Amino acid sequence: MEPGNARPDDSEHNAVNSVSAVFEAELLAQDGRAVPTSLDAFLASMERRAFRMAELHLGNREDALDAVQDAMLRLVKHYRGKPAEEWTPLFWGILRRRIVDLQRRRKVRSIVVGWLGGGHDEDGDELPAWEPADNGPDPLEKLHGEQSYADMAAAVKQLPQRQREAFILRVLEGLDVAETAQVMGCSEGSVKTHLSRAMQHLREELEAWR
Amino acid sequence: MNSSDKQFEKRARALYQEAAQRIDPATAGRLRAARRTALETASTHGSSHHRARVLLPVGALAVMALAALMIWQPTPHQTDSIQAPAAMATATDPDSELPPGADKADPGLYQNLDFYSWLAANGSNNQSKR
Repeated sequence: MEPGNARPDDSEHNAVNSVSAVFEAELLAQDGRAVPTSLDAFLASMERRAFRMAELHLGNREDALDAVQDAMLRLVKHYRGKPAEEWTPLFWGILRRRIVDLQRRRKVRSIVVGWLGGGHDEDGDELPAWEPADNGPDPLEKLHGEQSYADMAAAVKQLPQRQREAFILRVLEGLDVAETAQVMGCSEGSVKTHLSRAMQHLREELEAWR
Repeated sequence: MNSSDKQFEKRARALYQEAAQRIDPATAGRLRAARRTALETASTHGSSHHRARVLLPVGALAVMALAALMIWQPTPHQTDSIQAPAAMATATDPDSELPPGADKADPGLYQNLDFYSWLAANGSNNQSKR
């Protein structure tokens, strides 16, 4: 078969696969805990929530996209042979580690900027920690319900790392305690403790919700 | 966990799900592209991995066959190398030929050894007298 003939068929095949994956992802989204039949469909059902989760941790669109892309690549490369039931905790585990890596790298970058004299202004006052600029569009300012999510996101971002992880995985993603413990790499007791503290903090922050 | 906590969790989850669906088209497109890239990269990686899985045993077999050949070969070479100088000596220097071994020589030679030694001694004397 000539390559010139192969390409349109391949692209058509990919397009059909992609559409069917998105269609399946929508069905999966309706039934939150259904097991996907293909890795494509699984990732299609996770990618948007994964992006939001990464954004909540990193507070930056580009970094969140990087983290999600890397997590997808690693899952497909190393774990595609695993049973579909294991993909969810594996994917969140990979994404969590990637987020932690990016946060560490950001901290190092902030220290280097400080060493290079960027940590103080002209009066000698300390500048806030360096954060990458986020030039992406902010959908929270565009659509209905955005303010409530923005309030919640702001409160979640204030939580300590482990409490934030426990809240997102357990409450927002709906993983059970065992799965959350597996993703976080800690005991189930620790998950319960982190979650209880997170809930207490968020109830205080989001008093208006009551 | 009381009902207000349940309500709180339910609302938080609903907002999160809504926000996930509200992602702008540009970001959604980049996420789709990232997914496609991940799946394509993995398939390329998979085929090279499969190739390596086939080639590795074949290569190992070839190396083992070569090693077996190298172990088998020296035995005939060694016998050849031992016989070769003897043959060369026969061809180049007939006077330095050693008497044949007892198992190869004519048994009559050893039975009449005294006669042959007398013949050799007298024969050389007769030659010198002439």
